[in-house]
Amino acid sequence: MEQSGTSPLLPGTVQDLAAGVVSALRGGDHAPPVVRTVADDGADRLLLAAVRVTGADLLLPNVLLRTAPHETELALFRRALEAFPPRADSAPAIRWSHWAMIRTLRRLEPPGPGRRGDTPPEPDASRLDAAPWQVLTRQLAVLAALAVPGEECAVTRAARRRPVDVSRGFVRAVRRRDWQQAAGAGRWLMLLDGVPTTLGLEAGLDFVELMGGTDPRVALQVQAARSIRAGVFV
Amino acid sequence: MTDTRLIHTVGVRALEWLWSHREGFRLEPDVDPEVGFLERLKPVGELALICKVLFREGVAGARQADLARRLLDHAWRETLDGGAHLVLAQRIEPISPIPFEVYLPFRELGHSRPEIERAAVLNHRTDSWSAFEMTPTRRLGLSAFQRRFGLSPRPPEADALAGTWLARTPEPWTVEGHIAYDITHAVFHLTDWGEHPDGLPPNIAGYLADWLPVWLDDWLDLRRWDLLGELLVVDACLPRPTLDERAWTAFAAAQQADGAMPALRSMPEGDPDQVFDVVYHPTLVAAFASALATSRALSELAQAAAS
Repeated sequence: MEQSGTSPLLPGTVQDLAAGVVSALRGGDHAPPVVRTVADDGADRLLLAAVRVTGADLLLPNVLLRTAPHETELALFRRALEAFPPRADSAPAIRWSHWAMIRTLRRLEPPGPGRRGDTPPEPDASRLDAAPWQVLTRQLAVLAALAVPGEECAVTRAARRRPVDVSRGFVRAVRRRDWQQAAGAGRWLMLLDGVPTTLGLEAGLDFVELMGGTDPRVALQVQAARSIRAGVFV
Repeated sequence: MTDTRLIHTVGVRALEWLWSHREGFRLEPDVDPEVGFLERLKPVGELALICKVLFREGVAGARQADLARRLLDHAWRETLDGGAHLVLAQRIEPISPIPFEVYLPFRELGHSRPEIERAAVLNHRTDSWSAFEMTPTRRLGLSAFQRRFGLSPRPPEADALAGTWLARTPEPWTVEGHIAYDITHAVFHLTDWGEHPDGLPPNIAGYLADWLPVWLDDWLDLRRWDLLGELLVVDACLPRPTLDERAWTAFAAAQQADGAMPALRSMPEGDPDQVFDVVYHPTLVAAFASALATSRALSELAQAAAS
């Protein structure tokens, strides 16, 4: 993400947020991740940037578990959105990540005067259809926050059209020990029909967690995949 | 789809190298028995199996079919001394299946050595031969060879297949180098080394169609040309081969000007015999993959023209 060069402390803060999301998804800790990280709302730009990097997944526990987000967290989420708008020349992944945050906000915001309208038009996803399976999977893994049950968008539809290709990308990522990509692809696969049964996805996700799960960003995607599979939210 | 000429040229150059380096297929009759005389038969067996396919396949072109036949005749007459070395090997290790395995392709092309045949028939009768411990994939190969020889395979090929890694179509993300070679060899045995692609059961063909593209991608990037070549053979055995352009282009580019194919990354240097021992196999595989892929590409063109 283009904002990620703002501070050498950013990766650590992003990991802290991811660890908080994992904990909340597992149901072991109901404190909102951001609140665990900062006690008050005097969030500095580092935290805002970390929230922007984490993106819509920061509120994934609320989406999946159908719980209301903490007010502080919601406010911070909104501020991060406003602080880092996509530029005219931003890559599609940045635009989609931004779009996913707005969609999540619209879904979780209580109705009322603070609400700011509908989700804006979708960014372009036309390149995904022509992308080789390796590139498709890499892109989808970056956009794993869009892999949410019950939500449709152009990226979801592109993924649905190519379940075997995404499965191949999962295998490729595991073979190359790119655990972040493998976990993100695995999360997408939980949403797709037509995944070859020989893939062994569930054992594969356990393997990804075993090998790469000490990185909370990997653990977040694996846990998201499990939660999607368990269907606790429907 | 890959340019058929590019695929074809890889095989032409590989066979020229094999022919000009044919003396490298050598036995060591005076080797210490503890080291094992039979070990050096393996390259000759591989040469015979693959050259037989090249000779029979026909698409290799007149020059290649001729070279393949001459290589086989050289291996029989010079390297094996008309089969006498196979007889010797059988006397050193009577229960070993290696002399029989090396013999079979020569026999299919008309060479004969009755002592080996009698030993094969006798071994086949023993429980020891079917109990002989070997990997499941090699066991499948031995059953297939018994069938090709005219014996009733012990165990039957379907039973032998069931024990292989490939037959169980396991998680594709667990595949590493050794497993990949088990996969390619199971396919070789199921298809009689590419002669009968329809020997692949549909579920295995479907499994390979799903996952072979990943393995090609992987070992291409690792520049493991020997394994990549074997995977390209597997591709050519599928009902719908991909003839993967990226893999074939890189494979062709890895081949040396004289036709040699390095096993891994780039060509080794040093003693010519040692270099031969490292590169003869990937070069043979290159000739093999080229012949099968050319054949499939041409039949697809013919089908497209007819429809």
